[in-house]
Amino acid sequence: MTATPTIAAEDLADVARVLAGDVQAFEGIVRRWQGPLVNMAWRYCRDRGRAEEMAQEAFLRAWRGLPQWRQESSFSTWLFALAANVFRSELKRFPTVNLPLEEIAEPAVPAQQHNALQEKSSHEVLRRAVLALPHRYREPVVLFYFHEMDMSAAARTMGLPEGTLKARLSRARALLRSRFPHLNQESLSPVIAALNTGKEA
Amino acid sequence: MNRTQMNNSQSDPSKIDQILANEEDLIPSSGFLASVMERVNDEARMPAPLPFPWKRAIPGILLASGVFGWGAFEFARQAIQASRTINVTQLQIPASVERPLEQAGWVALALGISFASWLLSRRIAGQSS
Repeated sequence: MTATPTIAAEDLADVARVLAGDVQAFEGIVRRWQGPLVNMAWRYCRDRGRAEEMAQEAFLRAWRGLPQWRQESSFSTWLFALAANVFRSELKRFPTVNLPLEEIAEPAVPAQQHNALQEKSSHEVLRRAVLALPHRYREPVVLFYFHEMDMSAAARTMGLPEGTLKARLSRARALLRSRFPHLNQESLSPVIAALNTGKEA
Repeated sequence: MNRTQMNNSQSDPSKIDQILANEEDLIPSSGFLASVMERVNDEARMPAPLPFPWKRAIPGILLASGVFGWGAFEFARQAIQASRTINVTQLQIPASVERPLEQAGWVALALGISFASWLLSRRIAGQSS
C-alpha cells in the first residue's frame, strides 16, 4: 500500500495547489486515497458505514493538517499515520462491540454448508477474531496486513520501531494460533471442527 | 499479496498470513468523494479562527501574576510571623491509647498499599483491553 513515484508526484502537486488556496485540488487527493483509507478503516472496525465515516473524518483532518506536513516523509506515509490516529481515537470514543477472543462463535451448521462458503465464513471468523485481540496487538495486525505484510510501512504508520511491531505481531499470531490451532494446516475446514469441539466442551 | 514482502517478513507464511493478507478490497460508495468534498468546502468557506490577542492579554496576565505573587508572599510572611508567636506543646498520648493508634497506623498503611495496587492493576488491565 505504498505510492508509486507518479502518484507521489501527483500528491505533491495537489498539496501545493491546496496550500496555494485551490480547495478543489483536494479532490484529486481524495480520489486517489479514498480506496486505501476506507479499506484501512474497514479493517479497524469491520463496519462499512462506520469505515466510511472514519475515513471521511481522516480526510477532513488531513485537509486541516496539510500546512503542518513537513514533507520529511511521503504524503502517503503521513496520511496513513494521521488516519491511524483518527481511527484509534474514534474507536476509543465509540468502541466496536467485540466478543472476547475465547467467545468467537463458529459459523452456523458447518456440515450443511458448501465448502467454499464454509471456508469463506471461517476466514471471516478469523478476521473478526483480530478485532477481539487486546488493543496493543490488534493494531499491529491490522496495519501489517493492510500494508501487504510490509513491516516497515506498518511501523511507520504506527510510529513504532520495527522491533516492537515485530514482537507484538508475533504475540498476536500466537494468540490467534492458540484460539485457532488448526490454522497452520493445509485446509481450513478443521478450524470449524475445532471450534465445534471447543463449544461442546 | 506481495510474495516478496511476505517472504522477507516471514520465512514460513502461515495460514493466518494467507487469510488476513488476502482480503477483498472494499470499494467506497459512489457518494463518498462528494460528501468528503462537501465537508471540505464547508470548512473552507468558514472564516479563519481569530488569533488569540496576545498583545492585549500579556499586560493583564503580568498584572494578575504580580497580584497573586504578592498575595502569596504576604500570606507566607504573615504565617511565619504567627508561627513564631505560638507555643506548641508536646501532645501527650496515654500509653493505653498509643498502642492501638500504632496498630491503626499500620492498618491505614496496608489499606493505602492495597488501594494503590488496585489502581495499578486497573490501569494495566485498561491498557491491555
